[in-house]
Amino acid sequence: MLPDGPIRKILLYVDGSEECITASQYGIALAKKTGAELMALYVVNISLLEELVKARIFVKIEEMDYAHDLEHDGERYLNYISELARSKGIEIKTELTKGVVNKVVCQKVEEWGVDLLVMGELEPVLSRTDTYHDEAELIFRKAKCSVLVVKNAGKVERIFNSIEVN
Amino acid sequence: MRLSDLLNKETITISLSHQDKQGVIEELLDLALKTGKINDRSVALKAIMERENLMSTGLEKGVAVPHAKSKAVDDLTTALGISKEGIDFHSADGKPSHLFFLLLAPEAAAGPNIKILAQIARLTSNPNFCEALKKASSSQEVLEIIQGEE
Repeated sequence: MLPDGPIRKILLYVDGSEECITASQYGIALAKKTGAELMALYVVNISLLEELVKARIFVKIEEMDYAHDLEHDGERYLNYISELARSKGIEIKTELTKGVVNKVVCQKVEEWGVDLLVMGELEPVLSRTDTYHDEAELIFRKAKCSVLVVKNAGKVERIFNSIEVN
Repeated sequence: MRLSDLLNKETITISLSHQDKQGVIEELLDLALKTGKINDRSVALKAIMERENLMSTGLEKGVAVPHAKSKAVDDLTTALGISKEGIDFHSADGKPSHLFFLLLAPEAAAGPNIKILAQIARLTSNPNFCEALKKASSSQEVLEIIQGEE
C-alpha cells in the first residue's frame, strides 16, 4: 500500500454501460493496491434530453420521464459499484448529479483533487456525426488529470476476483 | 451503437404503400417485426399510438420519428420507411412527411434509446442527407447512404 503515492484519489466515471462496470472493478483493485480514496460519479445527460426536445422528437413530459429513467439507472449502477467496492473492503463515495456530462465530470475532477480518472473502453467506431457528442471521448480529452481507459473485461474480472479482503 | 447497426435491407422500404398516419405506423411496425425482436405487435402499436396522441412525431422538413418505450421489445428495434410523394403525418410545419424512422425501445434502456434518437436528429438535420434518402432506389442504397453519413 502506498498512501502517499502518486495516486491518492481515484474517480470512477459511471455511464450505465457494461464497460463502466469493468472499469470500476479495475478502479477498486487499484484503490486496494494503492490505498487511494475511491469515488464514483454518474451524471444524468440533461443536454442530450434537451437536444431531443429542441429537435421536437421529445415532448416535455417525455423529457421528464426519460430524465427519471436515467436517474434511476444511475442509482442502480452506483449502488452496484458500491456493493462491489464494499465486498472488497473498500469505502467508496458516490454522487449522482445532472448536467452536461463532460463538463460536470471535469469540474468534479478539479473540485475533488482527483489524481486518476478511470473509465470504460471507448466505443470502437464512432460515427462522424457523433464524435463531437460522445461524452466519454470528450472527458478523455478534456479531463485535467491522468485518465485510465480500462480494457479486457475477462482479465479485469480475474484481477477483481483475486482481491483478498483483509 | 450506430443507427445503421439497427437497420438492414429487410427493415427498410423505399415505397411505403399506405397514405395515412395509422397505416404508415402499422407498415413500419410490420417491417420492424422482421427483426424478430417484437414479441407483441398490439402492445408495441398501442405504445406508439399513445406517444403520437401526446403530439405528432412528424417533425419539420419531411421527417417523422414515431417512437415509444414498450414491454413488447427486449432490445432497440428500428425500421425506416420512405415515401417519395409524402404523407400527411400532422407534422410540425404542416408539410408532408417523406422519411419515417420508427424506434421501439425496451423500458429499461433509456440511455441507448436516447443516443439513437439523437443520432437520427443529427443525421436528418442535414438536408442533403434527407434528399439523398428520398431519391434512393433500393433499401441497400438507403443503408449505404446512412453508413456514409455516419
